Order: sequence, then C-alpha cells, then structure tokens
Amino acid sequence: MLEALREAVGPTLFTYAVSPLFKILALIFLGVLPLIMYLVLAERKILGFMQVRLGPNRVGPWGILQPVADIAKLLVKEDVIPNKAVRWAFVLAPCLVVAPAFVILAVIPFGPSAEQSGGALDFFITDVNVGLLFVVAMATVGVYGIIIGGWASNSKFSLLGGLRSAAQMISYEIPQGFSLVIPLLMAGTMSLQGVVGAQFEQGRWFVFQFFPFGLIAFFIYFVAGVAESNRNPFDLPEAESELVAGFHTEYTGMRFALFFLGEYANMIVISALAVTLFLGGWLAPFPNVGWASFLDLQWIPFMTPGLAGLIWFSAKLFAFLFVYIWFRGTFPRYRFDQLMDLGWKWLIPLVLFTVFGVGIWKTLL
Amino acid sequence: MSAMRGLLDRFMLLDLFSGLGITFRHLFKKKETVQYPEERCEPAHRFRGMFRLDEERCIKCTLCARDCPIDIIYIDWHQEMNPVTEKKEKALDRFDIDVQRCMFCGLCEEACPTNPKSIWLTSKTYELASYDRWENLYVDIDELQDWKVRPAYTDDEVR
Repeated sequence: MLEALREAVGPTLFTYAVSPLFKILALIFLGVLPLIMYLVLAERKILGFMQVRLGPNRVGPWGILQPVADIAKLLVKEDVIPNKAVRWAFVLAPCLVVAPAFVILAVIPFGPSAEQSGGALDFFITDVNVGLLFVVAMATVGVYGIIIGGWASNSKFSLLGGLRSAAQMISYEIPQGFSLVIPLLMAGTMSLQGVVGAQFEQGRWFVFQFFPFGLIAFFIYFVAGVAESNRNPFDLPEAESELVAGFHTEYTGMRFALFFLGEYANMIVISALAVTLFLGGWLAPFPNVGWASFLDLQWIPFMTPGLAGLIWFSAKLFAFLFVYIWFRGTFPRYRFDQLMDLGWKWLIPLVLFTVFGVGIWKTLL
Repeated sequence: MSAMRGLLDRFMLLDLFSGLGITFRHLFKKKETVQYPEERCEPAHRFRGMFRLDEERCIKCTLCARDCPIDIIYIDWHQEMNPVTEKKEKALDRFDIDVQRCMFCGLCEEACPTNPKSIWLTSKTYELASYDRWENLYVDIDELQDWKVRPAYTDDEVR
C-alpha cells in the first residue's frame, strides 16, 4: 500500500508531504493522545496504590474507561471566561502550552531510520540537524503560555502562579540547557537521530559515558526537566494548597483540559528527550553481550528491527513516566526559596563543573 | 558519624531515595479500600446503631419514653386479661420511634428496668439513609422487632 501511494503521488511529494503527514496524524491520534489519556488513569491508579487504596475502578473493568468518561465530562462543561479577563490572551494561553509540546515530538526519533532498520519507513517525523536547539527553543515557548494564562485571568492566584512559573523557568532553563550540552559534546552532533547513532557507535549509553559526568548530567537534566514540566515536587505554579490551582484557577472545561494535556505532553517530551539523549533512545540494551542477544526481540514473529526499536523506546519512556508519577507520590512540594536555592546554588555550579569536566576529558584524552 | 551521614545525605540525597523506597513498597501492599455497596465493614461489638425492641421482655413501663430528652418514643397500651394465667397484663397498642430527630444518646436503653434490656441500640445497623423523611425514619413496633434488616455477615463479606 505504501508503494502504491508512493507511485501515485511521486517520490518527492511522498517523502516530504504525504509520509510526514500520515506519521504526524498517527503519532498524535494513535500515539500521544491515547498515551496521555491513559497516563492520567495510570497516574491516579499508581498514586492510589502507593496510598494503599484502589484508585478509579468503577468505569469499566479496572477503570479502563475512566479517561473516556473524563473527556466526555470536560467536553460538556461550561466554558467560562471571566468578565475582567483579557480575552484574546486568555484564549491563546492554553494553545501556547499544548502546541510546542506536540511540535517537539516531530524531531524525536521513536525508532531507527529506514536505512538503519532496512525497513520502509523512518520511525521519526523529521531529522533536523539542529534538533536539540529546536527542542530547547520550543520548550521555552511553552512556559509563555503559563505566564500569559496567569496574567490574562486577572486573578491574584493565577498571576502568582504565572510569575512563579516565570521565575522557575529562568532558574531551571540554565542547568537544563547546560546538561543538554553534555550529550552534545559526547555525540558531536545536534541531530537527535545522530545522538542515538553516536551512542550506538560508541557502544555505550551516554549516562555511562565519561563516568560519572554522564550520570550527573542525566540527573541534572531530569531534575530540571521535572521543574520545567511543573510536576511535583516543583509544582509551585500550580501549588494547590497555596494558590488554589495557580495559573489555571480561572480555566474550565476544554481550556483547562488543554493545560492538562500540555502538562502531560511536556512530561512525555522531557522523558522522550531523556531517553534519546542519555539512555540510548531506541537502542536495545547490551547489544554486544552474547547471551543477552534475545533483547533485540527478533525471535518474536513478525518483528522487524524498526518495531523492536519502537518497543524499546516505549519501554524506556514508560519507565520515565512511572518515575514522574512515583515522584509525585513521594515528595512534598518545595518552598519557593528552596526551589531557587536548589536551582542556583546546587544545580548550576554542578552542571558547570560537569560541562568543564567533559570538555577537559574530551580535549585531553 | 552523624555529621558524616548528614554530609552523605546532602550529596547523595539518601533521604529522598529512602522515601522513594517507602512509596514503592506501598505499591504492592494489600489495599485497604472497602468497596462499600459490595462489601461492608462490620461495626465494633458495642457499636451504637439502630434501635431494636423485644416485646416479650418489655413490661410497658414507659420509662424509656419518659427519659427520652426529645420525646420521640410514643407508647400506647391497654389492660388485657391473659387467658393462660388469668391475670390482667399490659398489652402494647403502639410503640413508635420517630428516628428522624433521634440523636442516639442511649438514655432509653439506660432507663429500661428489665434485665436483659428490652430496648437496645447495639444492633450494628447503621445504614439509615433514605430518600423520604417518613419512609424509613419513623419505625413502628414491627420494624423495631424485625432484626433481619441487616442480613447476617458471611466470612468473605467481613474484611
């Protein structure tokens, strides 16, 4: 079918328009949106289990239809825009949170390219040679949505939430940016597909490269990533117990759902980036250990190298998402000065030291 | 030693990891949730629940009605010749309790002079919600003596 379509539209149009379009649709409607729906359910279930209760279990067996019920509820809820809100900004803000998170997914390699796997399709939408820069630029736009939403709501809780988000972004963008430099130094390329390729060639995931610098960089990236996606223990912009709901206090129905969607999409993006940059992306673990060769999954019927890559990527991604939820079930929220203290006094010196260390190692050895 | 441990805590975040360990262990614990309509907790042995009355034991002295601080116990009786013993005895016409306003203070039970008590509250019945004020919350003598409102507990029902 793919071949027929290729002949019908011509190879150029197929490669640059039809195939990406289909992949985008598949990624969003078969990949990310269902994943987010069930991530919300998984979060409630896992949090429930950690608190020795059952979690949602009434809608469908084990509560598996809960996301459907949630969406139906959010769709039919009244859409309230406060009288004194700045209308256009109020409407714009949720879109500004969601869109960048989805845009970033375009450059993330979910599996090997066509040449690497010998299959027909690249398991990514596009491979930009400044992929990492693109990701950082887009991730920053998402925070504007939160700030604008907080300001446009014309409520003190929302404004405080938005401003907290701004301060948090400034503090944590720096260590995150620097920790992204480290895999860059190791791989020598900014293309995310290239980073995975470099990990394959060097035979080692970048967490373990230049030990312990890779590990430290990974740790800093993940801590800063949790802060960037406004999740516990850094959910100060939302801060339920202090700011009602922070920046989305005034939002209802589908607009609130968009903020929610943005938060979870951000979680997925940050986990996917962590997997790609530090944990070998779609590579199977232990490719060069003889007895572990079953890990390439080729013994499963109808398995292709491309699918196996996709499966490994998803497995690592899910592990990360679990850690996110685990954090939420464990840690209390930081006080604001503690947050600043951690960001400026610990993470930034540590990440500068790490960048310096990797640079010296790379130049001298 | 404790200074050493404090330093390790500061750098290796040991306390954070032990916290993560605790939540991870709880993930696999048996869940405490009682799925209410399907399962119920059995109340404690001396739980103060809905009234019960035993007409056989009751001597119709109306002390419970007098002691009730909000006067919600209504008792009417008449004299009647017992055909067996050929003596006059009191017989109940009406023994109603308006549970709507009852606060379950238990003074009626304390006032009851018979031994064992003829009116008591340790019935373990606590599901008194109803849609209509007069539907279930005004109980007459038949309902007070119907001790099977709550069926007996089976072993797998009690957790």
